[in-house]
Amino acid sequence: MIEISDLRKIYHMGNVEVKALDGVTLDIEKGEFLGIMGPSGSGKTTLLHMLGLLDMPTSGKIVIDGMDLSRLTDYEKTMFRLYKLGYVFQDYALVPDLTVMENVSLPAMLRKDRSEDQYRNDSNDILQKIGLYDRRDHLPRELSGGQQQRVSLARAMVNKPDILFADEPCANLDTENSRIVLDLFREINESMHQTIVMVSHEDWHKDYFHRIIRLRDGKIVSDGINGAKTH
Amino acid sequence: MGKKELKVAFLLALRSLQRGSRSSVILTILIVGMCFTNMIFLPAMFNGIGQSITKQVVDYEVGNVLVSPQSGDQYVTDLGATLDLINGMPGVERATPHYSKGATLKYRQRILGVSVRAISPSDEKYISPLYTKMIAGSYLGEGDTGEVIIGKPVAGDASIREEDEFQPSLGGVRVGDSITIEYGNGYTKDYRVKGIYYTGWSQADSTVYVTWTDMEQVEGKPLDYADYITVKAKPGYSEKFIKDELQQYGVSQKVQTTSDLLSKSLGRALQSFAIINMVSLIVSIIITTVVLFIVITIKTLNSRKQIGILKAIGVDKEVIMHNYGFQVIILAILGIILGICLTLLLAMYMAIHPIVTPEWSATLYLTPIDLITNSLILFAAAILAGYVPAYQVSREDIQTAMRA
Repeated sequence: MIEISDLRKIYHMGNVEVKALDGVTLDIEKGEFLGIMGPSGSGKTTLLHMLGLLDMPTSGKIVIDGMDLSRLTDYEKTMFRLYKLGYVFQDYALVPDLTVMENVSLPAMLRKDRSEDQYRNDSNDILQKIGLYDRRDHLPRELSGGQQQRVSLARAMVNKPDILFADEPCANLDTENSRIVLDLFREINESMHQTIVMVSHEDWHKDYFHRIIRLRDGKIVSDGINGAKTH
Repeated sequence: MGKKELKVAFLLALRSLQRGSRSSVILTILIVGMCFTNMIFLPAMFNGIGQSITKQVVDYEVGNVLVSPQSGDQYVTDLGATLDLINGMPGVERATPHYSKGATLKYRQRILGVSVRAISPSDEKYISPLYTKMIAGSYLGEGDTGEVIIGKPVAGDASIREEDEFQPSLGGVRVGDSITIEYGNGYTKDYRVKGIYYTGWSQADSTVYVTWTDMEQVEGKPLDYADYITVKAKPGYSEKFIKDELQQYGVSQKVQTTSDLLSKSLGRALQSFAIINMVSLIVSIIITTVVLFIVITIKTLNSRKQIGILKAIGVDKEVIMHNYGFQVIILAILGIILGICLTLLLAMYMAIHPIVTPEWSATLYLTPIDLITNSLILFAAAILAGYVPAYQVSREDIQTAMRA
């Protein structure tokens, strides 16, 4: 489903060249729950941003469902993100002035293939699935961190994306709320055969992943459950 | 940009204004409203002054059309025949002559130089509301002789000392008092003050009115000539129509409408007003543009991360730009409505309590065109001020915005 070949990202900080990604090659299959792990500065988030079309690689190629992402125009990338991808961010990133329902519905409202009734039904369904339907008229500031992250997950899932990206979604949550959120990810992955790519630095999260990529200094140092396959 | 995108942009804008900082919203609306009021207040007041002057000139000086001597002539001659001709024309309410003579008034120890104007009191009633402006005594009768009416500033106030007076007066003449008038030709006569009037038009208030019969005595012969003839149009007839008609009917004197006269005498003053209006307008537009620019710039800078997130989840940059655009449009519309309300309240207040000076009284003269024009100008400035920062921030790349 996702083919990554020799992906490189180089940042220039003054005269210093920083290789955030240094030749990453990787395939991700449909329905996989992939964890990207590694120490700080290893390139986890950079890789996720490249896959999620939030940033452009310096060189290399990403192909999703046979489409070379480097060939897309700015507008096509936006539409690709809207129709094909879903995102969950570390800090929830909800629109503070919108209610839970409005936040969840927002991406669906923009889709040309969804009527108002459809996106309302989809939003209701996903809110019921994450257990926050009763709080649909609340503003994000009226919810706990765990609840906000569940809303963020609902927003990412409302368009039924091909791939769900999550960037350390439990970084700001306690263990109990982290487990609730991760259980939801697992349930979505299993029940909907949803492809999920998640960045995490918590070792106990690996129990949820089908496959784990470990990065160090922008390179893949292991690939497989518990790092069984080593590069 | 489709309907769905605009709908989402509008929803984001509306929710931001509804649930964002209320004080910021109120303050911005107030500023736009005050700028609108500032834009329209001075021009409306100058227009009010212009209208007030025009009305007073029509009421107390020239009527709608003025028939004056041809260049080189001192008087309008063959007065009786000319008046008959003019009064017989369709559209003419009444024509009446004025004849003025320089004179010195004497009352007790006071001496005052004035212009004494001879009128035909009953005809004058059709032309001028002077007879309604009597504050003491009564208006002149057609056959009155030996009686005058004088303006309040000429009569003066007995309680004010001569050296404290704003303008020289007779020091407190009352109705029934006798004053002496010494004309430029040496003719001197005592007159009884029949009435005192106050019009608010300084030139009329500084004048002494006598009957045509009295002036004939001063001249010592029948007055078949006049300085000029004032002509009042019937309702529904334009000044231009009357002027054209008079010229077609063979009135050989110079014929001018009030507009002809005012365009010359008031032209320079109106030009000055126009320059001040323009400066006021430009300053107001700059203030509004800068304020809205700052407000939207701060909003967008504070929301850069959120803008990055919105773009990340697939919200097009056009939607984000129009979100801020709609916010400005809503703020500008509410500000303009507030400004219109404030302006109309001011106009109502000044209609009841005009600013009065010895030369003019000012009310706010507003027309729907003024309100619409200023609203559109302010609206355009607001949109420009809002869309520029919105355009800039919406084009920022996702990574830069998200790291903000």
